This record gives sequence, C-alpha cells and structure tokens, in this order.
Amino acid sequence: MNLLTAGLPSTAIPLFAGLLDAPVGVAHYLVVGAILFTSGVVCMALKRNALGVLMGIELVLNGANVNFVAFSSPYLRGEGSASLGLDGQLIALFVILLAAAEAAVALAITLNFYNNHATVDIDQADDLKG
Amino acid sequence: MNQTMNLGSLITGSLNDTLAVSLPLFRTELCLAATIVLVLLCRMLPLLRRLDAGLVALGGVCFALWFAWNDMRGIPVGGLQDGSAGGAAIVRQELFGGLLVFDSLTAYIRLLLMGFLAVYIPFTKASGIPDHEDGADFYTLVLGATLGMCLMASANHLLMVFMAVEMASVPSYALAGLLKGRKASSEAALKYAVYGAGAAGIMLYGISLLAGLLGTCHLPSMAAELSRVVDAGSASGNVMVLALGGLMVAVGLAFKLSAVPFHFWCPDVFEGAAAEIGGFLSVASKAAAVALLLRICFGLGVPTTGHGAVAAIGANLAELGSTRHFIVAVVGLMAAVTCTLGNLAAYGQTNMKRLLAYSTIAHAGYLMMAVAAAVAMVGIDPAGSRDAVSAVAFYLGTYLFMNLGAFAIVALLRNRLRSEEIDSYAGLVRSSPGIVIATGVVLVSLIGLPPLAGFVAKFLVFSSLVQAITAGAERPLMLVLLVVGGFNTVISLFYYLRVLKVMTFDPPPADRPGGEFSLVSLPGAIVTALVVPVVVLGIFWSGLYACAQLAGAFAS
Repeated sequence: MNLLTAGLPSTAIPLFAGLLDAPVGVAHYLVVGAILFTSGVVCMALKRNALGVLMGIELVLNGANVNFVAFSSPYLRGEGSASLGLDGQLIALFVILLAAAEAAVALAITLNFYNNHATVDIDQADDLKG
Repeated sequence: MNQTMNLGSLITGSLNDTLAVSLPLFRTELCLAATIVLVLLCRMLPLLRRLDAGLVALGGVCFALWFAWNDMRGIPVGGLQDGSAGGAAIVRQELFGGLLVFDSLTAYIRLLLMGFLAVYIPFTKASGIPDHEDGADFYTLVLGATLGMCLMASANHLLMVFMAVEMASVPSYALAGLLKGRKASSEAALKYAVYGAGAAGIMLYGISLLAGLLGTCHLPSMAAELSRVVDAGSASGNVMVLALGGLMVAVGLAFKLSAVPFHFWCPDVFEGAAAEIGGFLSVASKAAAVALLLRICFGLGVPTTGHGAVAAIGANLAELGSTRHFIVAVVGLMAAVTCTLGNLAAYGQTNMKRLLAYSTIAHAGYLMMAVAAAVAMVGIDPAGSRDAVSAVAFYLGTYLFMNLGAFAIVALLRNRLRSEEIDSYAGLVRSSPGIVIATGVVLVSLIGLPPLAGFVAKFLVFSSLVQAITAGAERPLMLVLLVVGGFNTVISLFYYLRVLKVMTFDPPPADRPGGEFSLVSLPGAIVTALVVPVVVLGIFWSGLYACAQLAGAFAS
C-alpha cells in the first residue's frame, strides 16, 4: 500500500509494525479515518433505531473529514508528495456545516415519522413496498 | 504560487475574476437566490402575507429564465461547428477560481431547469398540493433544490460536487415529507433521508481518497495528475485506492440517478410523496444528476492542459485511456442492469406513481448508455462523442415534457378520482376522452414509438451506440448495451399499454366520484401545454436538437 506508507521511510515494512515504529504521519490519521468510516457504515447497516442510523452517518462524514484534514497538512506529508493544502481544511469546514444542516432536516423528518407511527424503529417503515 | 504576486495584484485579480467574469455568468443562480429571500420575506411581513408565494416564485423564475436564455444565446454557434478544439475553448470559462465552470452544457441544463420551473409552478398552482399555508415553504424548498441542481450542472471542483449534491438533496428530503399528517409521506421522507445521507457520506469518503491521493480537487488538474499516476503505471496500490475512491463517488451519483443497485428509495418516495414531488424529482433531479455524471466522467476522463482559466483540451487524447475504460465499464454495466431491472419491476405494479417510478429508473438506464458511449468515443471519434452528448441533452429536453406530463395527469386525476391506483382509471375514456388521449400520447412517447418526441430521443441514443460500435470504441460493451436497449424497449411496451387498456376497454366502476375531466379548464390547459410539445417535438425536432448539439459541443 503505497498510500499508507506515503509519509513513511521508503523501506518496505509490514503495515502495523510500520505504524508503530514510524513518526506520526498521514498514514496514522488515515487509519483513524478508516476506522470511523467502517464503524459508521456498520452502524448504518445494523442499527434499527433511526437515530442510531443518523449517528452512523455522522461517523462516516467525520471519517472523511479526518482524511481531508490529514491530507491537507504539509507537516504530515513527506517531502515531494502532493498536499491538498488549504483546500482540504476548507472542505472539512463545509462538510461540518452541511452535516449540521442534514442532521437538522433528518431529525425533523424522524420526529414527523414518530408523530405518525409512534416509533422510530426503521423496521416499522414497511408500508411502501413492491 | 507565483513569487512576484503581492497582495495588491492578488486582490485586483480576484476582484476582476469575481466581478467581471464570474458574477455576470452566475446571474441565473443569483436571481433564484434572490427569489428565495423574497418568498421568505413576503411571509414575514404582515402586509405582504396575503400575496401568493407561487406568483412571487413564478415572477423570479421568469427573470431567471430570461437570463438563462440570454446566456444560451450568447454562445457562438459558428465557432463550434467546425469541430476544431479551439471552438470549445472560447466558450469554456472557469468561474470563482475554478470552482464552477460555464460552458454550453451548463447553459443548456440551466435553461432546461428554469424552463421546467416555469411550467412546474403553474402546474402546482392548478393541482393545489401546496395550499396557501404551505406555499412559501414549498416554493422555497423547490427553488433551493433547483439552485443546487444548477450548481450540479456546473461543478468543476469536488467540493462543489459534494455541496451541490447536498444542496439538491436536503430540500428534496423535506419535500418528500410535505404531507405531514400522512403515514406514507412520513415514511417516504425518512427512507429518502436515510438512504440519501448514507450515499452522500460514502461519496464524501470517496472524494477524500481521490483528492488526497491526487493532491487536488480541481477536476482538470485531477485529470492531469491521474494521467501521470495511472498511465505511468506506478505503484499498483495507488491505482487500487483510486479505483475504490472512484467507485465510492459512483455510489453517490448512482443514488442521485436512481440507478440499480441504489434505486430502492425511488419507488417508495414516489409512492409516498405527492405526485407533484414525484414529477420534480423525476425530471429536474434526473437532468441535474445526468449533467453531473457527464461533468465527472469528462472531467476525469479527458486530459487537459492544466490549471489555466481557459483549459484547452490537450492534443494527446490517447492519455487516460485506462481511466476512460474504467469509467465506461462502470457506467455501461450499471446502465444495462438499471434499464432491465427498472422495466421488469414495472410489470407487477398496481399504483400509477410506482409504475412511473420504475419507468424513471429505466429511463435513467437509457441516458447512462448514451453517457457511456460518449465517454468511450473520446479520443477515437470526437464528432461521435459530441453527438452522444447531444443525444443525452435532447433526451433530457423531451423527457421534461413527457414525464412531467405523466405526473401532471396523475396529480390532476387524483384530484378527481381520489385515487392513484391504475384500476381506478378503468373506463375513463367514456366520461373524459381528452385526458385518455393525453395519457396515450405521453405513455407512447415514453415507450419511444414514432411519431412522438420519445422516439426521436431514443433513436438518437441508439444511433450514438451504433456510432461507437462502428468507430470501434469499446465494441463488445456497446454491442451488449445496444441489444439490452432494444430488448428493453420491447418489454416496456406491455406495461405502458396495459394502463391504456385499463383506461379504454375495462368497464368503469359504479361508484366513481367526481365529474368528467374536461380539457377546457385550467388543469386541462396545463396538461395540454405539456402534451402538445411531445407531439410537436416528435415532428419538428430540429430546433431543440440544434440547442442540444450546442450543449454537446462541450465534449470536444
């Protein structure tokens, strides 16, 4: 994985041993982002409570945000590799804004669903099918 | 960054870019934004509260339509016909430091969306779904979503891609739940919001991988970087991550296009929400999603000369061949599956809105076929590539009338019959033959039979596939797409015609509420205004096709 070793010494080393030995670089942040993303996807797939699903979506967005901030940092990228610069941090700010807007709308919709169905269990949303 | 650049020249440069170049070409969107503020203000002030929100919105949209029309007319026709690369470079203009791009495709889609709104707002007034109380909310959401769709059509930067998708989606979630007290509507909104937010999250993660690996979010710069990374055949790990990021972006696009396997929301939302919302999502949202697909496919698949304000298309089109191959494979396979599944699933439907939802999915498949052909012919047959994009643009133009017409008929019949089930339409021909003829025109056009507009559109799509086959661009896949497309046209015949059969041959139910539906009334006039263009464009299609060809010129 060239991506994960982008900020590391070029000697080929096993992934996790490399992470522990090397100074903190982009790769460490990407691992955190990937863990957040995976947790979010699992949360979206397994949670039956609509609020749980919305929390999963927030995790996915924040996983991407960690990536953006890590990629934009010139200190974490090694010499010579392309850095996203301020674009990455700017995108992270916009994503925070959009996530808030989306959460507001989604929570209102969930509340309306609760008013009509007296539950927020998404398994109960099965009137429409075919 | 240039070393000699000081603060003064930086400010002058960005002021010049914003005021002299960007804002004049952005006035359509600005006009929409001003209308939104106006609609909201009217509701706040006690004196203006009696003013109808729909009329205010319609007034603003008329101004926006006028600006969009002027932008379209301002595009030089002569410079584009000669097929030289220079022609497109004149028109292509990057706005706001490369975040947006203005070219003929932007102008065409923008004109299409504004034209759609100009028809759509009178239609919602006639069908009466946003009542006076909800009017301001409804039109604010519709205009806001359309603003996002305009940005989708002109995005040139991955940040704008994500922002525009969200700006179009978030108001749509709220629109789906507009009928607050109805169980079905709240369920539709919840499903739409959860699927949509999930797809957007996955798309954002894909964007973060692509942007991080290529070191830029600006699409033409990304293409330049891609050709360095991929065609140099450097470390295969990077290529794997790039492919993964690309697929994740495709998830978000497929959701907006309602392409299989991310189409589950579409039938549920169309059935649960009002027919008016279905019409909005099926026409406007689809047009914007196809435009965004074209933007991303051509942005990443066509090499350019880099970061300049006017990025001319480079001469070495053989570059990025493998990227294009990947894009064509993904889009083409998804198109074939989407088309077939949409048409097959439409068979068992008893609800008219659900049937139209599956029909929408199938039509997304046809559109994606033409997009795949357009990308495949880049660098092999530039004229063919242009023609394929024109076919897409023409298809979207005719689709506006035929699909909005279909949803208008469903909405207006709902007001009479209090039902949207196909069975409740039985024997309608005896009491109101006019509406049955209108339905017949719209449905036959959706099948794609001559002499209606749908035939010309479908013919152009299939001819672009044939062109790709003769040019030898991705020949096996294009052959498969052509066969799948023809097969699908045949099987779609039966479910559309079944609706007409129920309307004409079946005996009417004894307890039918409401009177006859006359075409000589306000709702009838709306239906007529949507159906007549379907017939006219089937015969006199050269005018719209000329506009569509102008839009296609962006793909030189």
